[in-house]
This record gives sequence, structure tokens and C-alpha cells, in this order.
Amino acid sequence: MAERMQICNLSENNFEQCTKCSICTTVCPVAAVTTDYPGPKQAGPDGERYRLKDPAYYDKMLKLCLNCKRCEVACPSGVHIADIIQHARMRAGEGKRASLRDTMLANTDLLGTVANLVAPVANVTLGLKPTKMVMHSVMAIDKHRTFPAYSRMKFETWFKRHAAEHQAAYANQVSYFHGCYVNYNFPKLGQDLVKLLNAVGYGVNLLDKEQCCGVALIANGLYKQAKRQARVNAASLRQAVNMDHRTVLTTSSSCTFNLRDEYPSMLGVDTSDVRDSIMLATRFIYRLVDDEKIKLVFKQDYKRRIAYHTACHMQRMGWQLFSIEMMRMIPGLDLQVLDQECCGISGTYGFKRENYERSQAIGATLFKNIADAKVEAVATDCETCKWQIEMSTGLPVENPISVLADALDVDATRRANGL
Amino acid sequence: MKMNTVIMGGGLSGLVCGIALAKRGQRVTIVATGQSTLLFNGGSMELLGYLDGKAVVSPIEAIASLSEEHPYRKIGADRIALLADQAKTLLDDAGIQMEGTAAANHWRVTPMGVAKPAWLTLKSHVHIDDLKQLPCKRLALMCIKGFFDEPNGMLADGLKDMGFEVDRLEFTTDDITALRRSPSEMRASSLAKRLGSNSALQRIADQINQLAGEAEMVLLPSVLGDEDHIHALQSMVNKPLRLVATLPPSVSGNRMQTLLRHYFQMLGGNYLMGDTVVSATLDGDRVTSVTTAKLGDMPLKADQFILATGSFISRGLVADYERVYEPILGLDVDADADREKWTRFGILEPQAYSRFGVKTDNDLRCLKEGKTIQNLRAIGSVLSGHDAIKMGDGTGVSLLSALAAAQSILAAQS
Repeated sequence: MAERMQICNLSENNFEQCTKCSICTTVCPVAAVTTDYPGPKQAGPDGERYRLKDPAYYDKMLKLCLNCKRCEVACPSGVHIADIIQHARMRAGEGKRASLRDTMLANTDLLGTVANLVAPVANVTLGLKPTKMVMHSVMAIDKHRTFPAYSRMKFETWFKRHAAEHQAAYANQVSYFHGCYVNYNFPKLGQDLVKLLNAVGYGVNLLDKEQCCGVALIANGLYKQAKRQARVNAASLRQAVNMDHRTVLTTSSSCTFNLRDEYPSMLGVDTSDVRDSIMLATRFIYRLVDDEKIKLVFKQDYKRRIAYHTACHMQRMGWQLFSIEMMRMIPGLDLQVLDQECCGISGTYGFKRENYERSQAIGATLFKNIADAKVEAVATDCETCKWQIEMSTGLPVENPISVLADALDVDATRRANGL
Repeated sequence: MKMNTVIMGGGLSGLVCGIALAKRGQRVTIVATGQSTLLFNGGSMELLGYLDGKAVVSPIEAIASLSEEHPYRKIGADRIALLADQAKTLLDDAGIQMEGTAAANHWRVTPMGVAKPAWLTLKSHVHIDDLKQLPCKRLALMCIKGFFDEPNGMLADGLKDMGFEVDRLEFTTDDITALRRSPSEMRASSLAKRLGSNSALQRIADQINQLAGEAEMVLLPSVLGDEDHIHALQSMVNKPLRLVATLPPSVSGNRMQTLLRHYFQMLGGNYLMGDTVVSATLDGDRVTSVTTAKLGDMPLKADQFILATGSFISRGLVADYERVYEPILGLDVDADADREKWTRFGILEPQAYSRFGVKTDNDLRCLKEGKTIQNLRAIGSVLSGHDAIKMGDGTGVSLLSALAAAQSILAAQS
């Protein structure tokens, strides 16, 4: 009876577990830079009590939440603070149409497809001052931002032309959810992963049908579209995991977090049956080495000093350990682990004119710590952190997979793995 | 994934133990469920504040009078004295500058205006060596307009009871007023994030210099986290300025946590914030690995394990309707079987539950079903036999048991 009483007392978002300790407010990057945002405790568990009573108590300032999840990570009582805020935003946004700007920023897939076709033109045009001014004033996309350059060839196209036919030769097979960034902007990361996995005897496959994971759609209130795309991806993930018996690898922390956790909790698209088989490539590779199933051989003259930035969603997922320990395997790498701070971009948030200043103010501590670390590059698992840090510090930012691929002696590694 | 030591819990004891081990070259991973109760700390460490309700003068000498179940007795009074010096040095290395000695307590001032015995207090915070010889007569108590985290009326009354003359002076600056737009966030931690620039500090200093009048010393709520900011303000104010603790979450506690974590990571330690150890695997009388909620099917293996999960508030101990238990391994717990005896009427009375905790041998090794687990040590608030509230020994037990456990681990290694 006692046990059942406890169960009946739990709500979906467990906001009643909040002890009002206010620790979440000390880590909120938004509350730290603006008084307009009520802070996670007020916006989350406290506000939820009022909203349950009457939805009119919804505070439109909740749109300032970055959904970085740092409040959840800090909460000693396990309250899903950020989820409470996201759900409140979702309920308040029902039936409303997103602006053209938000729709454009959120549709990374559509934008990418068009931009790839005209990449040289698009890159130049998007970088031109007049274009930036028009986007700034008409579209409300901040003029300081530069859109990440679009690649001339999509990763998918490159893969089909140059890699697909060799993959079947490997004894082990995995699938790869590359995400929009690799596909449209930075195929090199996908190529690095293929190179790395091939060198240790793993063939790479694309999913039957991959759509944008929808993290930007959720952030911009396009929930219906996010749900549609999530269903398509969930079907492809099931095909890969349940029918083809392959682990699905990723190279973006936010995509990974979205596929595994936000699909069920935010969109109601259940991926629990395949969740354990979706993972960042760093975790997969670390595990293979740890289990002594593969060997990595590194270039003897490799020498670099790199700082590692734990992206907020990476910390929420709790997997920074794998990226860090994987890079620590590289003998010539001097790795500096930075204190976890938010970079301020949060996907499309920092691209919006009204958020630009806040975004840079949030990231200021991280940028200073990076400057103090005296490194030649920064490693992180998140592509939008990469844009933000590159723009704000001038240092190159690489995914840990690219760091590893760069340090790897491919021929020696192939031989060490009997290839 | 194989470590030398895995520490469950990332608060004061877990971090200090992790630092002591990482400093000697160990590969250490800390798993922290969330932020710790160190964020409630007002800037002081207590070794032993009270015995039988009376304030302790010399904590080291008083250890002999403690019951044998107390962690200090298990570690030994002589060793505690040595570890106390080590603790102060370790905090200093991390950038936490404190004053005080284990040979003689001084007095810290609580946000409610009560003087309590303390072992170490942050150099920047107010503390009194001898209540019969106050450092000055007249104090200017600077009260921030609209500030939530300091009941300054009670604080002023308490200071008067100690024998000070107190001028309660309310002030604000543009930076502080701007924060009042957010009705829920007029808190110490929010202020700390906005008052860091030299211009903001100068505006505060101008107010203080204008208002402080005849007072010999100025007290300001602890709303500055960074030592550099505190020193900058001290140099701008033309009287001695000390900070006074606020209600939690405290800026100084947050700063200590941040500095310790930074130091630990600098030494190569892994700190997994927001993850929880959900189970452990035992092989005979040894723990072989622990599984966390987020690392999933990749358990953390190690030679040695530390349980630093805290007391009830941090869920290192759990009480349900029938029993008190340790949730990860189901370790043997010192707790009354009779639920009626857990508490007594009157919240300020000594409560039996505050002494509950896991059982250990004298080497702090945990027990399960009466048998010692060879490579699992408990440290900090999860230990039984002490009472942070009534004896004022919470932070001391955390620091010193952490160092004692690290010493044992390193001795076994070499």
C-alpha cells in the first residue's frame, strides 16, 4: 500500500520531486545573461503547478530556454526540468504556425538539398554583405552569423559513388546515421568515419531512408513535421537493427540524443526497442578497442595539443567519457578537458537576430577558457558548437572521429587487424 | 572500461578523494548524480563543533571523547591531525584559500546571525577567533535591496548579541536593480553572475564608501564568487570588507565545487555529471564493476571503489516505510530497526536518523551481510556514527575520511 501511494504520486514529468533547492538556477546559461528569462526552477517545476491549474499561466519567455538540459544534469533529485519546459512550449505552440525564418532554419534537409545543387553560388551569396543584411533585416537571421559552407557533393552521393561497393567485403557491418551536417556541409567527417571503420574491418551502410533527425524542428515548434520525420527514421532504424542486425552509428551528439531520448519523450515516437543499438561512433570504437576486438596504430610523428569541449547534450547523454578516453589512446595527443560550459549557439537559437547577443554572452566563459588552454584546435561531438566556437575563437574545431582518423596510421592499422 | 578507482558521488568527499588519487597518477572516474550539497556550504569547514551540546574548543583534543563508532575514532586522532593539515593544503592547491587550524576552533557567522564553531573559513569571509575579543566594535552590514537570500534583520540581531554595534545599511546599484525585473531570481547566484565586472564592483564600492560612516568593518552578503572579484572590491572599499554567508545555494559553495572539479579534471580525472550508479557486480568479497544509468551496457571496472553518495538528501541512504537502506549495493546499515525511534518530536532536537549510515571497519571498508568488502570504502556523509547538524562534523568527516581512504588505497597499491 505504501509503495503504491508513492507511485500514484508521480506525475509524468516528476515535477513534484523538486525540493526547491534552486541548484538548477545556478547552472542555467540563459538566466545568467538575461533577466527576461525566469530561470529553470520557475519556468519548469514551479510554473508547471500554475499551468496545470490554468494554461493561461504560460509565460511566453519560456521561448528563451535553450533546451541545453544543463538544469537536468545538475538536478540532484532527477527532475526532468527541461522536458517540463519543452512540453509547456509544445502545448502553448499547438495550432500556431512557425514563422518563415524559423521554418527555413529548421528545415536543414530542404535547405541543404537546394544549397548543395548550387553550392558555390550559395556559399558566396550567403557570405555576401548585402545577403547578410537582407537576412538580418527581413529574415531576422543575425548578420554576424555565417552559414556553414555547403558542400558541392552530398555525403550520400560521395558514398554511393566512391565507397558503397567496397563495403560488403568486410566481415563486420554497421549502419551510419550521418545527419544533415555531414550530408550537406561537411562530408569529410563521414568520410573519416568510413576510413576509420574500414581500417579495422567494419563495412559501413547507409540507412534505407534517412531524414533530418528533427532536433531543429522541435526547437522551432514544427512538431508535426518532426513527428513525421521521426516515424520515417524510426522505421529505418528498426530495419537496420532488427532485420539487418547492425548497430547504427552516429557522429553528432544532438542527433543521437534526439533519436534515442527525445523521440519518445518529446514526440511520442517510441524507439526504445532499438535505443541500445544507436550510439555515437566514439563509444562503439572505444568499446571495440577496450574489448580487444580491434587494434589502432597511430602515426609515429603525430603531435597535437587539443582541448575537448563537452557539448551540453553530450553531457546530458553522459557519453563524453568515451570520446575523451578514445582520444587519450592517441600517444601524441595532449588533450585538455575543458570545464563544461554552454557555447551559447544551441542549434538554430544563436542564428536568430533577437538571440545573437545573448548567445555570445553565454559562450563568453567557454571562449575565454579555450583561449587560456593554449591549444591548436578544439574537439567536440556537436556540429553547432563547432560553428559557434570557430566563429568566436578562430580556432579549428573537429569531431573526435576526425581527430582519431587524422592520427591513425591507416595501413599499419589494416595490417594489425589482419586486412 | 577499466580505472584504478571509481568513485560514486561527486561532492566534497568524492572530489577530494579523487584529487588525492589522481595526483598520485591514478586513473579515476567520478560518477555524480547531480550537483552536491557542497552548494549549500556557506564557506566554512567544521571538524568538530559540539560535544554533548557544548561548543568544542580544540577539535583534535576532543576526538578522544567521541564514541568508538565515530569515523574520527576509526581513523584515529593522530592520523586525523595529519590529514587535517593535508586537507588544508589540498584545498589551497585547488585555489580555495581558507584560514583556521584543527587545534583550535574559530567562529563562523551563519546567515541567521548565529556564531558556530568552525575549523576552516574562506579568507574572504567573516570569522571571529574569540567571541570575548571581537575584532572590532562597529560593523556596517550592507543589505542589498530586494535580496532574497539574507534575513538581514535576524543577522543584525545575531551580530548585536555577539556584542557588535551594527548599522544596517540598505543599498542598490543599477546592476542590482536590473536583476529585480525577474521576480524569482533575486538570488545570490544570480547576483554573482552580474557583479563580476570592475565597473559593477566600483558601483557597489561607491555605495559602501558613501554609507559605511563610522563603522570599522564592512560586511557584505557573499554574492561574489571569484576571488579576483572579491579582492578587487576589497581594494575599492576604504574599510576592511568581509563577506557573510547567505542562504543556499551559496556562491562560495558553488565556487568550491567548481574549483575542486576543475582541479580534478586538470589532474586527468573523469567527472560524469548527471549520471548515477545503479548497480554493482561482486565477485566474492570484491566489487568488480559498477553500472551507471547512462553508460548502459559498458560497466566501469576498477581495482578500488569508493562510496561517497551522501546521506538521505543526496539519496546515498534511502528510508521507506519500513527500513533504511543503501540503494546501490544493499550494504549493511547502522539504523534502528524500529521506525518509531528514527525521529523524535521537535525538529531542532537531536534526531537518531542523522547518525544513520553504512557500517564500515576501521579502514572504512563497507560490509554486506556481515562480511567485509575488501575494495569498497565509504567516505563522507554516507558514513554512520556522526551528526553533521548536532556535532558540527559534516564537512570534516567528508574531507578527512576522503583522505584516509585515498591513503589506504595508495598504500595497498605500492
